Amino acid sequence: MKKIIFVALLITIFLASSVAFAADKINVQFWHAMGGWRIELLQEMADDFMALNPDINVDVQYTGSYGDTINKLNVAIQSNVAPHVVQGYDIATQMLIDGEIAVPMQDLIDADPDFDIGTFMPQVLNYYRVNDKLYCMPFNSSNAVMFYNRTLFEKAGLDPDKPPKTYKELYEYSKKLTTKDDKGNVEQAGVCWNLHSWFFEQFMATQNAALVDNNNGRTGRPTKAIFNSEPGLKVFNMWNDLSKEGYMINTKVHDWTGSRNLFISQKVAMLITSTSDVALMVKSAEENNFELGSAFLPIPADAESGGVVIGGGSLWMVIGKPEAETKAAWEFVKFMAQSAQQIKWHTGTGYFPVRKDAVADLLAQGYYSESPHNLTTILQLLLSTQNYNSNGAIIGAFAEVRNAVESNVQKMLNGDLTPEEALAAAEKAATVAIRDYEGL
Amino acid sequence: MKKWTPYFLLIPTFIIIVLFIYMPAGVSLQTSLYKVLPFGRGMNYIGLKNFLKLFSNPDYLYSVRFTILYVTTTVGVTILSSFLIALLMVKKIPGVRFFRTLIFAPYAISPAIAGALWTFLLNPVVGHVSYFFQATLGIQVEWLTSKPYAFYAIIFASVWKILPFDMVFYIASIQNVPEEILESAMIEGASSMNRTWKIIFPMVSPITFYLVIMNIVATMFSSFAIIDVMTKGGPGQYTTNMIYRLYLDGFYFQKAGVASAQSVILVTIMIAVTMVYFKLGERHVHYQ
Repeated sequence: MKKIIFVALLITIFLASSVAFAADKINVQFWHAMGGWRIELLQEMADDFMALNPDINVDVQYTGSYGDTINKLNVAIQSNVAPHVVQGYDIATQMLIDGEIAVPMQDLIDADPDFDIGTFMPQVLNYYRVNDKLYCMPFNSSNAVMFYNRTLFEKAGLDPDKPPKTYKELYEYSKKLTTKDDKGNVEQAGVCWNLHSWFFEQFMATQNAALVDNNNGRTGRPTKAIFNSEPGLKVFNMWNDLSKEGYMINTKVHDWTGSRNLFISQKVAMLITSTSDVALMVKSAEENNFELGSAFLPIPADAESGGVVIGGGSLWMVIGKPEAETKAAWEFVKFMAQSAQQIKWHTGTGYFPVRKDAVADLLAQGYYSESPHNLTTILQLLLSTQNYNSNGAIIGAFAEVRNAVESNVQKMLNGDLTPEEALAAAEKAATVAIRDYEGL
Repeated sequence: MKKWTPYFLLIPTFIIIVLFIYMPAGVSLQTSLYKVLPFGRGMNYIGLKNFLKLFSNPDYLYSVRFTILYVTTTVGVTILSSFLIALLMVKKIPGVRFFRTLIFAPYAISPAIAGALWTFLLNPVVGHVSYFFQATLGIQVEWLTSKPYAFYAIIFASVWKILPFDMVFYIASIQNVPEEILESAMIEGASSMNRTWKIIFPMVSPITFYLVIMNIVATMFSSFAIIDVMTKGGPGQYTTNMIYRLYLDGFYFQKAGVASAQSVILVTIMIAVTMVYFKLGERHVHYQ
């Protein structure tokens, strides 16, 4: 009997204490898709927030890739166990808006006099503003940039201060940088980027070309894909020509690590990848004893000047939570968007700080003179023409559109389709996906 | 009372099966008739449109064709090679236990890890297999991103993964083949070829029968991880089989209705295959 009473007492104490714990702390769940060392970095930032806000507990969870996180969210929303804050990726923006899962960030910003969205970079806001409304808080922004191996450039007799600017130069440089053995096997290739439609989208925007109608879906919902155009063909031709001769190594779909490793192991001399890799590239170049260079994305010599598109992720606040929890979540989102946090995130990863004041602070501290590659990436963004094409397309069925581009590029690289055929097939498949999503 | 005891004891299993298998299957069947919007925004009844769309979609039809090719090749190669290896493994040679353990290892590895492993080995630039091919034959093969090598790579990894399972069954059943029969055959002057294919193989046919069904299920449904990790269905949908297509539509494009229709088709095919097979099995399989 005594034992039973003792156990019962223990259980009561345990329950009481857990209830007390729950009562004085508000729990905020945060799901993100940032793997690797960035898991710790985000946890550190959440810890800093909790130190400042002892009444809020932030539960940070890494939920796999961007796609996996959206999947989990889809299920969680329907079973009412969604987190308070979730990191959504760029191309899910329209789908998340259509899903009506989020408290529009604009409403919270308008209601909070402490928060000034004017300090944010217009390039970033332009991407995430849909119908003049901000639905999510920009958090990790990046775009595509070119890294090159200055040491290999010198070996090949190229001037490392003159990275390729045009498609023609990219081809000529790649040719010079490629070495083959006596059997014709490639020992070192010129250039590499992983097989991802994102690069196609960036190459289109840098030529000031649109992906879908209605001004890239910015002035009305898209009804069809329109990338079977001259700029589109230039990208496909360039991709095909480089690959055919072995001047470019292609990876499998979305193999970021594979393409990075080719560059780090000096098997390719130039890498086009995300600007979020700056920190990693600087470190890897040092470890592998080569000198790193960085440059803007090349464009065709006769192309219209455009700009790079913002990619990456943003923070969404899930709707329908109790008011106190929503308030706590808003505090957390605000904290993550503060200049100090953005600087920490930027220097730790390479993602852009999404605020102008953070850039100004970094400049004043001499950061950009010490980190020239971060200067390249931010300048490429700042020098981008701002219009519907560089603001990026807004498409509900974006994942499927990407798949259409990627599988047809692969068919082209395997010689099943000519660049013209592949581009036309990709556009057709993308239009089918868009019409299906829009119910047309 | 006694009559009811077995049913009573079955209740826990039954509850689990109903909750986790029959109910979801029922829901899929229902969802396959709807266009489902993501995030639970609603469902519109569209009848059989999902199915009609699938059957007029060349990509889907390709994935069906690819699945047939992939399943028959993988199952055929696995059954044959596991039987042959099992024949070796029952021989009384030194270290046979050690080899059995080694060969069994792949079965203990999860499909995703197996895929990752082969991805490393087949990497065109730094992979060991590629290095071997380059050093011996002087050719450079892009195993995972070019035709038809991506198909070979997938087949190889799948066979490598399933083979140990089959082999264990074959080792056990070959050891069960009565010595007297083999001895008398030997006295009658039957060659080892004849003994293998005319005595041992028919004697283990119940096991072959069981393994073929198990292997078809494994290659149809659990091949997802290997394909996702190794080729992502590429190059250009070349290695996209039905289960990977289902994953793309259901979990990448968030089209639950179309994906449910695909799972209904998959289950129907599986039921048909099993039924035909059992019918054939009754006629041809020899039970001792």
